[in-house]
Order: sequence, then structure tokens, then C-alpha cells
Amino acid sequence: MMYEQKAVHRLYRKLVNLYPSGFKERLAESMQQTFQDLWNEKRQTKKELFGFVLWTFIETAIGIFREYLLLISPGDVMQTILKTSGSSALISFLLTLPFMIMEVVNRRIFNEDFPVMLFFVMWLNLFAIGLILLPIMRGRRTGNHDMANPIPTQKNTLLTNPRSAAMISIALILAPGILPLLNSVGWLSLDRLFNGPNPEVAYLPGQLMSLGLILFPIAAGIIAGRPIVSALRAGGSLFAHPINLIIVVVISFLFVSGVVSLIVDQWPCFIGVPNCD
Amino acid sequence: MTTTISTPPLTPAVFHILLALSSGERHGYGIMKQVEADSQGKVTMGPGTLYGSLKRMLDAGLVKESDKRVDPEMDDERRIYYQLTGMGAEALAAELARYQRIVTIAQQRKLFPKTFAYDV
Repeated sequence: MMYEQKAVHRLYRKLVNLYPSGFKERLAESMQQTFQDLWNEKRQTKKELFGFVLWTFIETAIGIFREYLLLISPGDVMQTILKTSGSSALISFLLTLPFMIMEVVNRRIFNEDFPVMLFFVMWLNLFAIGLILLPIMRGRRTGNHDMANPIPTQKNTLLTNPRSAAMISIALILAPGILPLLNSVGWLSLDRLFNGPNPEVAYLPGQLMSLGLILFPIAAGIIAGRPIVSALRAGGSLFAHPINLIIVVVISFLFVSGVVSLIVDQWPCFIGVPNCD
Repeated sequence: MTTTISTPPLTPAVFHILLALSSGERHGYGIMKQVEADSQGKVTMGPGTLYGSLKRMLDAGLVKESDKRVDPEMDDERRIYYQLTGMGAEALAAELARYQRIVTIAQQRKLFPKTFAYDV
């Protein structure tokens, strides 16, 4: 029993050591003490120790995960992203829906497969625009009134500092550029990477990688826009961080261009022109 | 209770911790037990939630640490105690005032159990 207690406490100490350093230095000792107190209480009341240990370990592990998330991105950013993604997904779907209806109605006589990928890409572009621009629009609308977080968020994180946010965004935009570079020096075959060993057959990993690459500019736009949202919420100007604004505008423009070019390219198909592609 | 302080709503964990500390300073385990008692056992806070909330409350100046000392009712281990700050007390008062306003509205609309129109 004593050995078991020591082993569990050692494990809990190791678990608590996984907290970010600032948290660990300040609260790790108290956490271990509290765990010891809870252990003693359960033992004295002869309650089930396994259930308690399991619950506490899981609960603490979730706490560690949460602290790291908050470290990467302050709490209100996470909430904003979650709130924005739902609205963006819905608005994007509603904007894509008329074209889907046109496709179904005008092409029903041709007995063709429904181009799921085309509409998914269209939806994804609109979704990306929403993810980047909606928080800024909300920030402008709410101004000083959207201060619902009771605890001030961590300041001067990499993502809240306009300069570092802009640099991270630029790095994210440029990151996919490494692929053509590796391809040009012969270290990587882009064709094989995206089309697989047999180009005639659909290659799922390649398609997933293509979709994954779209996430880079989306993340870049969200990160660049974050200091703008903060400034707007604090009652500041939209132009408070001009470099971040330029990055947001450029990325949004790219996604808007993507949607417009898709619509222009596919317009004949939408209106029912035979043999369109 | 009236207050002119305009603070946003608190999370349930922060509210319960502030409420637990309103009757005096406590160590982590003491806060847990007080939260459990205040909520008639309905709210059970694990160490991850408690210390995560405490960290943010310390950063926000709602609570502060006291000196380490032994709890006479427990073993001879020295524990860090936490206590409310002035800002913490104000935040708690503002939250309670908010609750009171909601309760008043609910009373006016006869929303308490067995006061619904269809219960009569």
C-alpha cells in the first residue's frame, strides 16, 4: 500500500512537471500538496482510490493541455476562433448553395456525377475568407463592449504582438514555397508527392496534402488579423497595425480571387452548357 | 446589493473560488472542500481546474498568495494559502449583483419552480 502510494505520487509529480514552466514554478508544489490531501481524504473515508486517481490524472492532463493552448493562443482567441468557425462554415455553405442548386437543376439531363470537390473547394475558399475577416468585422462592431472574458488574457504573446504576428504570418505564407524549391533542386518530386506513383489513379494522400497547404494561408490570415481585432476591441483604429492589415487584405484577396475564378470558370456548367469542363 | 462596478460575468470556477475565499483565506484543498460545501456537493473541482483558475486569478489580481503555514486541522505540512484581494471582492460583489438582478427578473416573471402558469 505504501509502495503504491509512493508510485502514484511520483507519477503525479511527473505529470505536474509537464505544466508550462511559469505555471509549474508557481503552483506545482501546491498542486502536489492538494493531491496528497485528496489522497489522504479518500484513504480515510475508505473510498475507491483507483477511480479518484484516474479522474485526477485525466483532469490534470486536461489542465496541462489547456495551459499550453492558452500559452500558444490567449483564451479569447480560442473562443473567437470557435465562434467564428461555426458562422463562417454556415455563411460559406449558404453562399455555395445557389451554385449547387444551379448545377443540380441545369445539369440533371446530362447524367453527370455531382462535382463534390469543386463545391468543397469553393466552400473552403469562402470559409477561409470568413475565418479571417469575421473576427475583424465583429471587432469593429463590438468596439469596447466585447470584454466578456473575466480574466485579462496573457499579454505580449507571440500572437498578440503585432510585429511577431506579422512575421509568423509571412513565414506561414512562405512555408509552402519550400516545396517547389526542393523540387527544383531535385530533392523532392512534387508530381509524385501530389499525384502518387500512378498519376492515372486518384491519390488520396496527395489530395489531403493539397488541402493541408490551404491551411497555411488561412492560419496566416487569422494570426495577422489577431492584433487588428485586439486594437478594434480596445476602441482603436482598423489601421492601427498597417502591416498586419496589408497581410490580411492580400490573403483575403487571394481567396476571393479563388472563388471568383472558380465561378467564372465553371459558369457555363452552372447554366447548363453541354460538354463544359 | 448595489454596485457601480461594471465587470463581465465570471466563469463558474472563478465565481466558486471567489465565493469560497470570501469567508477567509484557504489553501488549495480547503478551497475545494469549501466549493463542495457551498454547492451542496454539486460542484466538484479537480486540481487541474482549481489551479488553472487560480493561476489566471493571481495574474488578474483577484486573489493573492499568503505565507506558507501549517493547517492546525490537518497534518504538519506547510501549505500556501490564498486570499481575496480588493479587486477580487469587487468582482464577486458585481457577480452577485448580476445574479440578484436575474433572480429579480425571474421572480417578476414567476419563473421559479411551481410558479409557472401551467403548474397552477
